[in-house]
Amino acid sequence: MALKKTMTLNLTDAEMGALEDLCEKKDLSKTAVLRQALRLYQAVETRVENGAKLFFENEETKEKAEVMML
Amino acid sequence: MSIETSPVFLLEVATDQPIEADLLDGIAEQQLVHWEDEWMPVLRDVVARMKAAGIERSKWPQSLHWDWRQKAQGFERALANPGFCVMCQGMTQGMMFLDLLHKARIASQAGKELVYIEYLENAPWNRRHIAGDQVRFAGVGSILVRAAIELSREEGFKGRIGLHSLPQSNPWYANTCGMTDLGADPDYPHQLRYFEMTPEQAEAFLAKGNTS
Repeated sequence: MALKKTMTLNLTDAEMGALEDLCEKKDLSKTAVLRQALRLYQAVETRVENGAKLFFENEETKEKAEVMML
Repeated sequence: MSIETSPVFLLEVATDQPIEADLLDGIAEQQLVHWEDEWMPVLRDVVARMKAAGIERSKWPQSLHWDWRQKAQGFERALANPGFCVMCQGMTQGMMFLDLLHKARIASQAGKELVYIEYLENAPWNRRHIAGDQVRFAGVGSILVRAAIELSREEGFKGRIGLHSLPQSNPWYANTCGMTDLGADPDYPHQLRYFEMTPEQAEAFLAKGNTS
């Protein structure tokens, strides 16, 4: 598998709390959650750059809300 | 992008002997050229012969429409879509693209991350329904499925994998890989059947070794 590089990440208490919550919810390590987040962010960015829009749809009401990407 | 190579073994069917091969964690220009220049002529020839013999379309190689060059371009630099291939005797014997942004569906694992096998294809000369008794190497599919499981473990997904199977491959994923068949997926093109492997099934598959 590909070689990995190490970095130090500085997070606020709130950010660390959110990361720890996700780790518990997903049963993943902090590294795994952040790697997954990066993959997702890149995938969304690529789609948006190619002209796609990102929506959340309420399954019951079918109401759609567009997510604005920075 | 640097591609890592791991030694693996295939079974050379003619001699019934293990033969050294390499698992690469990437699909490069060399593999795409092999697909275009070596795989596709064989597949086209097989289809032409089946057509001439009046064999129904459902029996033709079902991955014929997969365009690996187009897929490789689409997944280029995508962190969520790593590719793998098996090389032996200087030839690409199998290729696979994965997607790491899928969730498990099986009740005991629902919502948890898994490695989804987007595409997995064996070289035509390694497929029993094409090459018959002349099959060259066995074990390519198992090595690629194992690579997907290993990646799933490395990413913290506990070995969970999932995929939609072409009809000709359903028995292989169910019986050889021991995956759970969750039935025809009404939301997937052609309503292909969806298969999933739990951490326990992954463990059992890895323990079984390279048997096909």
